Amino acid sequence: MMIDGTSPATSLEHFSYDNKIVKYFAYATSFWGLIGMSVGLLAALQMVFPALNFTAETTFGRIRPLHTNAAIFAFVGNGIFMGVYYSLQRLLKTRMFSDKLSYVHFYGWQLIILAAALTLPLGITTSKEYAELEWPIDIGIALVWIIFGINMFGTIARRRERHLYVAIWFYIATWVTVTVLHVGNSLELPVSLWKSYPLFAGVQDALVQWWYGHNAVAFFLTTPYLGLMYYFLPKAANRPVFSYRLSIIHFWALIFIYIWAGPHHLLYTSLPTWAQSLGTVFSIMLIAPSWGGMLNGLLTLRGAWDKVRIDPVLKMMVVAVTAYGMATLEGPLLSLKSVNAISHYTDWTVGHVHVGTLGWNGMLTFGVLYYILPRIFGTQLYSRKLANVHFWMATLGVLFYAVPLYWAGWTQSAMWKQFLPEGILQYGNFLETVNAILPMYAMRAFGGAVYVAGVVLMIYNLIRTVRQGSLIANEGAAAPPLEASPAGHRGEYWHRWIERRPVQLLVGATIVVLIGGLAEVFPMVMVESNVPKIEAVTPYSPLELEGRDLYIREGCNNCHSQMIRPFRSETARYGQYSMSGEFIYDRPHLWGSKRTGPDLHRVGGKYLDSWHYQHMQNPQSTSPGSIMPPYEWLLERKLDISDLPAKIRTLQTLGTPYPTGYAERAVADLRIQAKDIANNLRENGVDDPELEQKEIVAIIAYLQRLGTDIKPKPQVKLKK
Amino acid sequence: MAKYLLQDAGINWLAILALLTFVIVFTLALIMVFARRKDSYRDVAQQPLKDSYLLLLLAPAPSPPYPGPLASMSELELFAAFVMVLVILLGLWSLLDLSFKLMALQRERLLRKYHPEQLQEVGLEQLEPTKAWWQRLYERMTDAVPIEEEAAIVLNHEYDGVRELDNNLPPWWTGLFYVTIAIAPVYVYFVHFSDFALSPAEAYDVEMTLAEAKVQAYLKTQENSVDENNVVLLEEADAIDAGQMIFSAKCSPCHGKAAEGGIGPNLTDEYWLHGGSVNDVFRTIKNGVPEKGMIPWKNELRPRDIQEVASYILSLQSTNPANGKEPEGERYIAEATSK
Repeated sequence: MMIDGTSPATSLEHFSYDNKIVKYFAYATSFWGLIGMSVGLLAALQMVFPALNFTAETTFGRIRPLHTNAAIFAFVGNGIFMGVYYSLQRLLKTRMFSDKLSYVHFYGWQLIILAAALTLPLGITTSKEYAELEWPIDIGIALVWIIFGINMFGTIARRRERHLYVAIWFYIATWVTVTVLHVGNSLELPVSLWKSYPLFAGVQDALVQWWYGHNAVAFFLTTPYLGLMYYFLPKAANRPVFSYRLSIIHFWALIFIYIWAGPHHLLYTSLPTWAQSLGTVFSIMLIAPSWGGMLNGLLTLRGAWDKVRIDPVLKMMVVAVTAYGMATLEGPLLSLKSVNAISHYTDWTVGHVHVGTLGWNGMLTFGVLYYILPRIFGTQLYSRKLANVHFWMATLGVLFYAVPLYWAGWTQSAMWKQFLPEGILQYGNFLETVNAILPMYAMRAFGGAVYVAGVVLMIYNLIRTVRQGSLIANEGAAAPPLEASPAGHRGEYWHRWIERRPVQLLVGATIVVLIGGLAEVFPMVMVESNVPKIEAVTPYSPLELEGRDLYIREGCNNCHSQMIRPFRSETARYGQYSMSGEFIYDRPHLWGSKRTGPDLHRVGGKYLDSWHYQHMQNPQSTSPGSIMPPYEWLLERKLDISDLPAKIRTLQTLGTPYPTGYAERAVADLRIQAKDIANNLRENGVDDPELEQKEIVAIIAYLQRLGTDIKPKPQVKLKK
Repeated sequence: MAKYLLQDAGINWLAILALLTFVIVFTLALIMVFARRKDSYRDVAQQPLKDSYLLLLLAPAPSPPYPGPLASMSELELFAAFVMVLVILLGLWSLLDLSFKLMALQRERLLRKYHPEQLQEVGLEQLEPTKAWWQRLYERMTDAVPIEEEAAIVLNHEYDGVRELDNNLPPWWTGLFYVTIAIAPVYVYFVHFSDFALSPAEAYDVEMTLAEAKVQAYLKTQENSVDENNVVLLEEADAIDAGQMIFSAKCSPCHGKAAEGGIGPNLTDEYWLHGGSVNDVFRTIKNGVPEKGMIPWKNELRPRDIQEVASYILSLQSTNPANGKEPEGERYIAEATSK
């Protein structure tokens, strides 16, 4: 509202804010936060106590995606909606567009979370990080997201405030970019109700996945939360935002540059080097736009630091914004190839992400919860003291979590790369490097436990707060009707023009975020020379294909990479470095992003079938000290091949060159290969009359195939 | 006179000492830099400047043979010379600055004595104390309107009570942004177009070649390294113990804790798939038998380690552990003398 043009009091319109939907989302945020973090704690403890992998449904490979999805989409997702539904109404001086849509949105989103919580432990997964949910749930997400969009833009259309505040720019950019990312990364062809194959394969799938994965961090964990910061931080501090112009520059720069940086997740992989370089330089350019947000947050607190000392809301926010600044500096540094050569595949990355999620997202959410709930219940916070204790538990929890992981990452990476003067690896056994960092894993779990305990304290505090107040379901408000748009814009700052035009703002943001993605994905998909072909690479046999899908079901890619980087320390340990042409039939790619266990890209032919059999039955028997859980159900369950013909047909549609009519012959081929492996196992003392029908045979077939297509030879001839 | 002037200017003997030290260092530096082959500076002047010369100093790649005096300097010396020139320039600047200030002080002293009314006109007494350069730099770099004066820059709009200030972009932030943007083309040029651009595959080949040379150089310093042709059975208790340690860590998962066999064959009987002499056992451990699932250990165990573990294995002959796997392969009887 313009302040100088004072409207007469008589023209005020009376309306009310919907606080009930805010309450719903606030409760969901707290509940799913506790669940998601507890699952994370379980996963952290499984590293130290492998016995905690109780059943197939609770093995680390299935629990880890459950944790990431719950933390991102359930905890932070509901947190976004809580903050948006609270602030949007007040910033636009109007009620949400439609109460009905609000509740469809709320229940729809909870249903999706429920579907994720059910399918992921069952092994129904696409294996693509932060996009593990299968295609029917993907469609559900799209629908709910569109409903949220309609509700948001409907509210904007009915606003009583001509100009949109910076928080809303961030909400709009979030909405459009998440839509684009979700659709782009979910391009997949269903095989059955719970199985699909992605449109892209191998290196192209990897690029699309990390374009998505990186920008899920950017546009689900960052931009909406910057929007929340821009509303709740100045409100809580009662201070004006430091710089309007800084908001403008860092908003547009951030959304434009962020999109390009995805390839920094694939440095030194088989991704073409031009794409890797784009990832690096755009990550460096991202430092200043990211810090713009931190500066505008911290500098807004000038003159309010005395309040920060006593107000738990502000305390949480200060640490959140600082953690944001630290994580967004660390990210670009990790994108330098020389740093990435050390950090990638180690726990350094895990520590980095958690400074962002626990520090920035977690603590900002806590601050917003402590801000909103007393207000919508017309009361004070039950106990400021408890909130202060929570603040310290959260802050120390983040530190206790992250510091041991930085240490672990460095230690393990250094051990991976250590050679003896004779030219052989000092720690040739991967397990030595795992066992060296188990104490750090234990400390990390302690840090996580402290953080979760803080959340329990918060929930207690919030319950008591809610009990001592009563919900103001419809909070009365009054505002003058929407004033006419100024005829000209002479004398006003240029950006004011777009601030009163939501459609143009939406279109502008869309164009800005599309540029980077198209510039990287299009050449990668269209230009054939980006993936040099290798003659010897052939499609997977039916049994190998089924084995691969079991590998995906069990989430093996959460701990094992399939991407050997061109370093001496990697080729000495694993064999010839990976080449893009080897992955052209990989739908989806299974490169992985973290090595809790060794890389598997060249594991084919390294061990006997019977070694794999015993290893799956009890990893400690073949690899003493291993923290991998046993997979004895693979030895017991019969392989379900009912979808095999459909799988072959789907892959043919996507371009895998199986001969025509192969779908009908695939089962017979599968039986022959299974028989061979079963006989081989029997010769080595495995006693099971139905061996050839068991899942273990398929996964052994897949593992023995891995990386064997090519003989070691360099892909690129030396220039000189 | 000089004493009077200095006292008046508030300069004490410490400053003189600093100045003297500087002059000595300055002279020494000059001598060090210019004493090197004075006559060939003309050659230097005629040399075309190499592409990104300064970065050459930092780049690990060997620079091409380069005539002239600079070539005779090591990279470190070049860097030192560069730093010295910088120090000298800074010193010259501060000398100049100091003399101007001394002159101004002297002028002020004279004016105060003979024409105090002129000083009044200038308003020197009313001037505020000047700020130190770092204070000025800080203010210039942050460029924020102080809180007391921010009423002047509050923008005339508010959203649910949230107001916005019209502070400038912090210049240090803008500078950082420009620098990071400028890095992009330089980075792309160096990684993809310059003489130093190596693809990951090329860099890998260089890494392997250098490492191999280093390993070979090391191996040359080691006398008679053990291989499958010259290996002998070790019988000292120390060696057998060391072999046992390796065996239980690396071999027992497949061959059993007592070498009774498991995934791999029994190693305690007289039957061998790949030969039972110490040379054969050494070779089998070293190179593995991939088609049978025996992995090569040469990338994990040093020759001496392999010798120890082979000796340990052969020390287990006829121990008949429980649950022994049935014999496989051909019978091999060790000769009476093991050496």
